Amino acid sequence: MADRRRINGPPGGTRPPVFASVQQSSTGAADRARRQRQPAELRKIFLKTGLIPTASGSSYLEFEPSASLAAARSNPKSLIPPSSALKLACTVHGPKPLPRSAAFSPNLVLTTHVKYAPFAARKRKGHIRDASERDLGVHLETAIRGAIVAERWPKSGLDITITVIEAEDDRWWGDAPNSHDASWGMMNVLAGCITAASAAIADARIDCLDLVSGGVAALVADDESPSSTGAPRLMLDMDPAEHQSIVSACVVAYMPARDEITELWLKGDSSRAALEKDDERTGHEALVDGAVDAARGANTVLAEAVKESMERSIAQV
Amino acid sequence: MASTTASHATPPSLSLPPSQFARLQPHAYLLAHLSPPAASNQPSLRANGRAASQFRVTSANAGSLTHTNGSAVVRIGDTAAVCGVRAEILNTEDIASWSVSHASDEQTDDKKSKSEEGDTDSQDKEDRAHIQDLNLLVPNLSLSTGCAPGFTPGAAPSALAQSLSHQLLSLLHSTRLVQADDLRIWYQPPNLEAEALGEQMDVDSEESGNPAREIKAFWVLYIDVMIISLAGNPFDAAWASVLAALRDTKLPKAWWDDDNETILCSDDIADAKKLSLRGLPIASSFCSFEADAAAGWRSVIIPDAEEQKAQEQKQKKQGMQQRWVLADPDGYEEGLSQERACVVVDKENDGKAKTVIVKMEKHGGWALDGDDMRQLVDVSAQRWDEMKRILDQC
Repeated sequence: MADRRRINGPPGGTRPPVFASVQQSSTGAADRARRQRQPAELRKIFLKTGLIPTASGSSYLEFEPSASLAAARSNPKSLIPPSSALKLACTVHGPKPLPRSAAFSPNLVLTTHVKYAPFAARKRKGHIRDASERDLGVHLETAIRGAIVAERWPKSGLDITITVIEAEDDRWWGDAPNSHDASWGMMNVLAGCITAASAAIADARIDCLDLVSGGVAALVADDESPSSTGAPRLMLDMDPAEHQSIVSACVVAYMPARDEITELWLKGDSSRAALEKDDERTGHEALVDGAVDAARGANTVLAEAVKESMERSIAQV
Repeated sequence: MASTTASHATPPSLSLPPSQFARLQPHAYLLAHLSPPAASNQPSLRANGRAASQFRVTSANAGSLTHTNGSAVVRIGDTAAVCGVRAEILNTEDIASWSVSHASDEQTDDKKSKSEEGDTDSQDKEDRAHIQDLNLLVPNLSLSTGCAPGFTPGAAPSALAQSLSHQLLSLLHSTRLVQADDLRIWYQPPNLEAEALGEQMDVDSEESGNPAREIKAFWVLYIDVMIISLAGNPFDAAWASVLAALRDTKLPKAWWDDDNETILCSDDIADAKKLSLRGLPIASSFCSFEADAAAGWRSVIIPDAEEQKAQEQKQKKQGMQQRWVLADPDGYEEGLSQERACVVVDKENDGKAKTVIVKMEKHGGWALDGDDMRQLVDVSAQRWDEMKRILDQC
C-alpha cells in the first residue's frame, strides 16, 4: 500500500538509470579505485560537536574522501562516482523523564535510531527504516551502553538519533551486479556512528566511563598483493570500493583508558591471514587488534572534538 | 529545616539571569526587548539581537553529496536543511493510461513544437499535465532526524512534516520551476520504410517523411529534504535547499536503445545537461508578535475595526507599538506568535525587472492587514537580492 503520509512517486514505480558504459565493458578493472594509503594508515576524520543547538548534544562526522573520489570531484569526468565518503549527523536528546506508560527502570533507558537519508547510498533508500538500519541501531546501542554510567539517571531516557547523509559503498560499483557477499560498507558506517555518538554524548554531558570510539579492520585479498601465497592481508580502515575482495572484516567499539571492548562485530572467514613471519597471532586476533588500533586512532580525533566542546561551553559561561 | 535555610548569610537574590527569565516569562522577555523603556535609549531589537525585518545569516553549499544528481546544504542561522535530488526513469510503458491518453496528443504536440515555439499557453498546460499528472516531482521532507526534541525518530512523519512536504510540492507546481521538456526522453524511430523502399522509388520517399518522434520515458526527480537542525522557520530553509539543489542538478543524457529495449544513459559528464529552471522564487516567512499576550485567545469576539484602528493610532502617537512583524522567526519567537505569513517573490529578467509575487500565505490571525502585507513584499524583494547573491556563490 502506498504511504499516505508522504508524497509518493509514480504508482508504476521508477527505475534507476542504467549507464551504457557499464554494459559494454563488464570488467572495467582499469577504472577500479586503488588504495593509496599504507595498510596501517587511517583516513582523516572531521568531527565537530554542537552544530544542532536544540539538542542536548550533537555531532557531525565526515571521513576524508579517498584519493580517487577527490580526483573525481576536482576534475569530474564521469557521472558515476568512484567511491563515497561517510557523512553523518548525530543528535542526543535527554536525559529526559520516561513517559508515564513506561515500566520503571533503575537505569538510563537508551534508544538508538540509525537512518540513512534516501540519497545516502548508490541505491535509493526508502523513508521507513529497513532491517539493516535497525540492525545498525542495535549494534550502536550495545557499543554505547557499555560506556555510559547508566545508574546515575534512574527513570530517564536518552535518545540517540543518527542520520547518515552519505554512506560508504559495500563494494566497488563495477562489481555490484554479480557479487553477493556481505554488505561491508555497513561496518564502516557503524564505526563512524560509534565515534559520532560518543562525541554527542560527551557534548550532552552524560557521564561515561571513557570515550568510546569505533574502528574497522579487514582481511583483504587483492590480485596485486605482494605475498606470493595470495593469502589475505590486514588493512586498517578499509574502503570497500578500493578492494576486489574482502575476506573478513571486524568493527570494535573500544575504550582506550580501560582497554575494554564494548562491541565486537566480525564477519567473514578470518582463519587465513598473511602476517609477519615472527607474528604468532591467529588471523582472528590480528583482525581484532587491527580494529582496536584503528579505534585508537579515531579516539585522538574524538578527544580533540570533546575538548573543543568543553572549551566552547566554558566560553559561554 | 527552617534553621538551616536561615543560617545562610546572604538572602536569595530576587533578580534572575536573562536566560532563566527567558524561560519563565518568554512573552514578557521578548516584549521587553522590543519595547525598551524610553529612558534607556536602546533601539528596539529582538531577543536574538536582530532588528524586526532582519533575516538570520544564511549560507548555502551545493554539490557536496556523492550519490545525488544535485545536492545542497542551506543553513539559515541554526536551522539547517540538506537536500538531495535523485533522478530515476519512468518508462511510458509503466504508466497505466499512457497509450490511451497521450498517444494521440503526441503527434499534434510534435507538429506544434516543430512549427513554432512561441505558443507558450498550450505548452504551459502540457508542462503542467505531464509534471503534475505523472508525479514527476516527488519532494519529501523529513523532520525525524533528531532535529528538535519534539519529533520522535522512527515515527511516521508528523503533521508539520507532511504539511511542509505538501507546501514544497505545491510551490514546485505553481511556480512551474522545472520544465517538463527537461524531463522527457525522446526517441526518433529510424525511417525503415524509406530505406527499404528507397532503392525502388526515390520519388515517394519525400512524401512518407520520418515517423513521428515519441516520448519513451520521463525523468522523475526525487527531492528529499532532511532538516538536520530545526530552530524555527523550516520552510524557508527547505525551499532554499530545494532551489539550490535543483540548480545544481545534472541529468545524464539518455536515449532509447532499440536492441536492448531499455533506456540507456551516458555517464560522460560532458553529455549531462543542467536543468533550466524558470526564475528564482525565494520564500520569506514572517510572524506577528502581539504586545498583548492574550491577543490570540480573546479573538472570539470580532473586534470593531474602526474603534480598534482609532485606538491603535492613539497608541502609536504615544510611541507605544502594539504589534511587531518579525522576519525569519527563530524557534523561540515562533512559539510566541499565532499569526504567520509567507511571501514567495521572484524578480523578472534576473532581478532587473519588476518583482512578481508567486505565493502569499497568511494564517493564524487577522492582525496583519493589506498595508503590512505590502511592506512584507518589499522586505521579501530585498531578501530576494540577498538570497540570489548567496545562491549564485554556492
